[in-house]
Parts: sequence; C-alpha cells; structure tokens
Amino acid sequence: MELKIYHMYPDLLNLYGDLGNVTCLRQRCLWRGIKVKVVGFSMNQEAPLRDGDLFFIGGGSDRGQNIVYSHLLKYRKEMEYLIEDGAPVLAICGGYQLLGEKYIDADGNDVPGLGIFDYHTKSEEGRLIGNIIIKNSLGIAPETILGFENHGGRTYHDHEPLGTVIVGHGNNGKDQQEGMVYQNCIGTYLHGPLLPKNPHLADHLILKALERKYGVKKLSSLSDQEEYSAHNKVLQLYLP
Amino acid sequence: MPGKVAMTIHPHILKIINERCHKKILITGTNGKTTTNNLLNFIFRREFRSVLSNLRGANMPQGLVSAFLHHRKKEYDWGIFEVDEGSFERVTEYVKPDYVLVTNFFRDQLDRYGEIEKAFQDILEALEPLETTLILNADDPLVSNFRKLNKKNIYYGVNRNQYSTSQQGIVESRFCPACSSYLEYSYYNYGQLGGYKCPDCGFENPPYDYNIAEINYKDHQYHFQFKKRGDNTSQEISFDYEGIYNAYNCCAALSTSLEIGIPLDKVAQSIEEFEYHLGRMENFQFPDKIVKIALVKNPIGLSETISSISLDDRPKSMLFVLNDNPADGRDVSWIWDAEVEKTLNIKHIKQIFCSGRRAEDMALRLKYAGIPVDMIEVDDNMDQAIGKVLKEEVEIVYILPTYTAVFQARELVLARLEGTGKKMSHFREYLKNLKFPGR
Repeated sequence: MELKIYHMYPDLLNLYGDLGNVTCLRQRCLWRGIKVKVVGFSMNQEAPLRDGDLFFIGGGSDRGQNIVYSHLLKYRKEMEYLIEDGAPVLAICGGYQLLGEKYIDADGNDVPGLGIFDYHTKSEEGRLIGNIIIKNSLGIAPETILGFENHGGRTYHDHEPLGTVIVGHGNNGKDQQEGMVYQNCIGTYLHGPLLPKNPHLADHLILKALERKYGVKKLSSLSDQEEYSAHNKVLQLYLP
Repeated sequence: MPGKVAMTIHPHILKIINERCHKKILITGTNGKTTTNNLLNFIFRREFRSVLSNLRGANMPQGLVSAFLHHRKKEYDWGIFEVDEGSFERVTEYVKPDYVLVTNFFRDQLDRYGEIEKAFQDILEALEPLETTLILNADDPLVSNFRKLNKKNIYYGVNRNQYSTSQQGIVESRFCPACSSYLEYSYYNYGQLGGYKCPDCGFENPPYDYNIAEINYKDHQYHFQFKKRGDNTSQEISFDYEGIYNAYNCCAALSTSLEIGIPLDKVAQSIEEFEYHLGRMENFQFPDKIVKIALVKNPIGLSETISSISLDDRPKSMLFVLNDNPADGRDVSWIWDAEVEKTLNIKHIKQIFCSGRRAEDMALRLKYAGIPVDMIEVDDNMDQAIGKVLKEEVEIVYILPTYTAVFQARELVLARLEGTGKKMSHFREYLKNLKFPGR
C-alpha cells in the first residue's frame, strides 16, 4: 500500500510547527509498513492534485496567505471534487479559513477564499491565543483533542464542528465550537502541531485515506506511549 | 524586579539613562543579542571607564532600568543595551542611540509578535525619526532592507565558507523584501542568512564593510578570518564557542568596535579572551567530564546547536529542558519547526534526557525525528534529570534548556560542581547577583 500526501504550500503556509503534522502522518504510515510519498505543492511546483490521497494545508503569515489565496483559486474544482469524493484533508488556521468564502481583514476588505464551504472569517480585535482542549465530535477515542491556537480571525458557520471547546477559544471565542468537519475534510485552529499529540486523529485521517484507496477498515495499532504521555501532560497542566 | 517598580514610580526613568550615557548602542533582532552585548561589553570595558549595560538578557524597558539601578553612576561613557524587538519603539522614545545594531529576524515567540514582518515594520517605524548609524547584518534580507531608510549604514556578514550549504530547511523569508519575488540563494550560512539575490528587482547583499571570510574548526575551537573593507590583509581570530551563529555575533561586535575606533588587534585580543557565563555555550569542568549549557529558544537556534554538537565526536549524553512559561513562549510548537532530525548525525551519543514542564513534548519530537525510544528518558524534575545525566559515563554532557530553565540549570550544575569538592569557580559572584530576568 502507498499513500501520496500533498503538502500544500510548504514554503508559504508553514507557521507554528505545521510541518510536524506531515512528519507525524509519514512516520505513522512507515511504522506500519505503508509506503508514503510526500509531495510539496506550491507556486513553482504545481501538480494535478487528483492523484493525492491525503492533503495537508497549514497556516501562514498574512502575506503568505494572500499569495496562496489567489494562486489556489485555479485549483478550486480539484479541491472541491476531492473533498466530495471523501479524500481526507486537514486544513489548519489559514488553510481552514481558505476553504471558506472569504476572509474579511482588519481594514474591512474581503479576501476571497476558495468558497468550497459557505463560511467566512472576520478579523476582530485581539488574538485568540493559548492552549486549547476540545471534546471531539468524530467519535474517536480518547474524546479529547488538544493543541495551541493563535489566530486573529473568527470563523462563523453552521457546519458540524470538529468539537466543543473545554479550554480555549475555538472558532470565534463565542459559541464554544472549534473547527469544522465535512466528509473527511477537517478544518481547525489547532496547531501545536495537532497530530503528534493526537495520534487518534492522525490515525483517523490515515484510515480514511486507506479506506478510500484500498477499502481498508482497520489500522494495526502502534505503541503510543510517548504520544499519550505528551497528550496527558497537557490535560494535567491545562484542564481546570 | 526593581526596574518594574522604578518605572511605576518614575515612568520616564529611561530618559535619565539616556542623559547619563554619553553615547549609546542599541542591539536588537531575534538571535545573538545577549552574546553580542556581552562581547561588546568585554571589549569596551577595556577601553573606557564606564559602560552601562543589561548583560543578563533582560531586554524590555524594565530590564534596562534594573541594570541602571544596580550601579546608578552620574555618567557613563557608553550605554550598550540589548532591546527586545517588541520593546524597541518604547525604548527609543527615550533612549536616543548613536548606533543601532540589528542581528537577524527569525521566528521566535510568535505568540507574542505574530509575524516577523511585523517585528521588522515596528522597528522600521521606530528607527525612522532617529539620527543614528545602523550596523546591519548584510546577509539577512530582512535586516539589510533597513537600507531603505537611507541612514548611514555599516554592513557586516560572513562569506560562503566550508559550513555553508546549498539547501536550507528553515528559511523565514523566501521572498524579496523589496518586490515579493522568490529570492535566489547562492548559499546559506544559517537560516535565511547567506548570499541572496532577487532575479526581478536585483535586491541583493550589500557589499560588506566588515566580514568573516573563512571559518575553520580545530581543537574544539572556531578560527575566523576577519576582513575590513579596503584592507587586503586579514586577521585570524579564535573563538571558544561553537556555532556559525557565533561567527555572526563576533563579526557584529568587531564591526561595531572598529567603527567607533578601537584598534583591530585590541578587539581581536578581547574576543579571544572572552569568557561567557550565562548559559550560552558555557563550559563547566567536572573531574570526569565537561558539561556545556547552551540556551535554545527558537527553531533556528535549536537546529544550529544540534548541528554544532554533531561536529563533536566525543562520547556524550544530552539533556533537553523544555519549558512553556510566558518568557519561553507558551507555545512549544516551535520544536517541530527545528531540524531535530539532525540529532541522528550526532556521533557517540549514549542517552538523551528530557525535562522541564513540557518534557514529554520534547521526547515526542525526538521520537518522530527517528531517535530510538529506548535512548530517550523523560524526567520532569530538572534537578533529578541533571543528576542522572551527570552520572553518565561519557566525556561530555550537553544541556539544552529554554529561556526560563537556563538559569536554574546552571545553578543546579554549579551546586553539583561545588559538591565534588573542586574549588568553587568565579561563578559565585554571578550567582549572588543573579535575579530572574523578566521578558
């Protein structure tokens, strides 16, 4: 078995340990004997995308995000097809915002997103920063998913959230919701990076990719002692 | 701390500092501020009667004030201060520098600043009204972009050398600061520091006024060939602290000292005799081993420290101490931006210990870098972890703490050094005066 992971704009969307998510997906496949090909997709390295099995889109600086927004519009159809077809996509922070209709910046200007989903993100006063712990709505165990959030934008939507906020701010700091799930596409503000300390979520994405490509129903288990030590340490430090 | 209290009583106390120092140098940027500040002090104190400085890395306004309150002289020949990027504007409101030295811009504590472009913009705006000479790292495209202020600019840098690479994992700014095109690099020395050129608008490294032309590593020491513009000869300078970043720190201190008129042979001698006492590659000699403490606080620093350790082929063990206190940055994700995979290149490594509030995160990072888990041991009690690593049968121990752990780590190491019955070193005085620096 082999998975092709597209790492979208690794040179532009690479804040806050985003790379760690790709490292995590790759390692967890390799430890199980699943071959992995990680392909960087960017302005000077375009690719068809349709042959991808798993997609990762990270967050970036305002400048990086603006460059990406206008470039990725050319690939809107491919992305929409892939998401509808059940390809797992993990989009973090700027990547999450990008999948929506628009980003309204601090000066009130609209920066158009891919518009695959009908939500928008608005820049509001103050950044939402800190450790965040949520209760996931994917039905995977353990229930907690945790990370670090750092965003000025607030996202508002009626889609299924990735989870409800136990500690932290989430989508907009108001409705106790964090992230978004549609098919196997996950948008979230959690970095940290997200996957190494949440191996259950990493495996969820890997399993969905293998299911779509090979009809695999179950993953072999790994020794996740270090992963859950780190996970539980955050709970111990930051749960009230 | 006293500086904070004083500023509450007298908010304009920075103005007094400004008046009492005849001439002033401010050092800002992400990495190398504390080392460069300490180097400059070591050089200047041999030339001038009085120098006021915040040497311990407390670089927000209250840190400067605390340094002043400690001595309170009527006048100083020089005030040399390192200033946090986020505090630069508040400091220059009162302290009017004759020279501003900018080292580099790397990603550091984004939970405080947001983005490095913002740090650049804030400093640019603060510099604009000042009448000052800028001493700029020519090899950092963001730093050399300060040329657009049209002040008097002095450029320093490090030429392509045997440690330069053609690939770089972490590059903060791949885009031309002038026109946003992709920058083309002919070589990298350290992160985005290297030889760059914009194919569209021609933005490139400005010509060096001072530079390090060659670097050699022998007998656990670096040897630099230092050159001055218009002078065909070069001066060899040896430096006892590892890391290419220290070539930049030395070059920055040399350039500033020569610029104000101190003769090269004197500066070179001071640099060779310089001893560091603040956990920045500080050495401790135990009867059976050497212990080195090196502060690591951001991705590029951690990557470079690991690279420099891989040049050392002595049997060794390591201890990482990862904290997430406010002064370290609450967010520990930066360890995933560092090339921790380079740990695999370190030879003769026996055991790796992880400690600190986020010890488990560091252990996890090492696991995903491909380090066998039986080589990694977690102990969140730093005292115990230091006890364990010092018991290792190795020639050298490397301790890599984050900011809030570095002072505690050296204190714990010193306490054990004292316990061995060896003569207590000159660090005693430092310890007595040691206050926890706020950031």
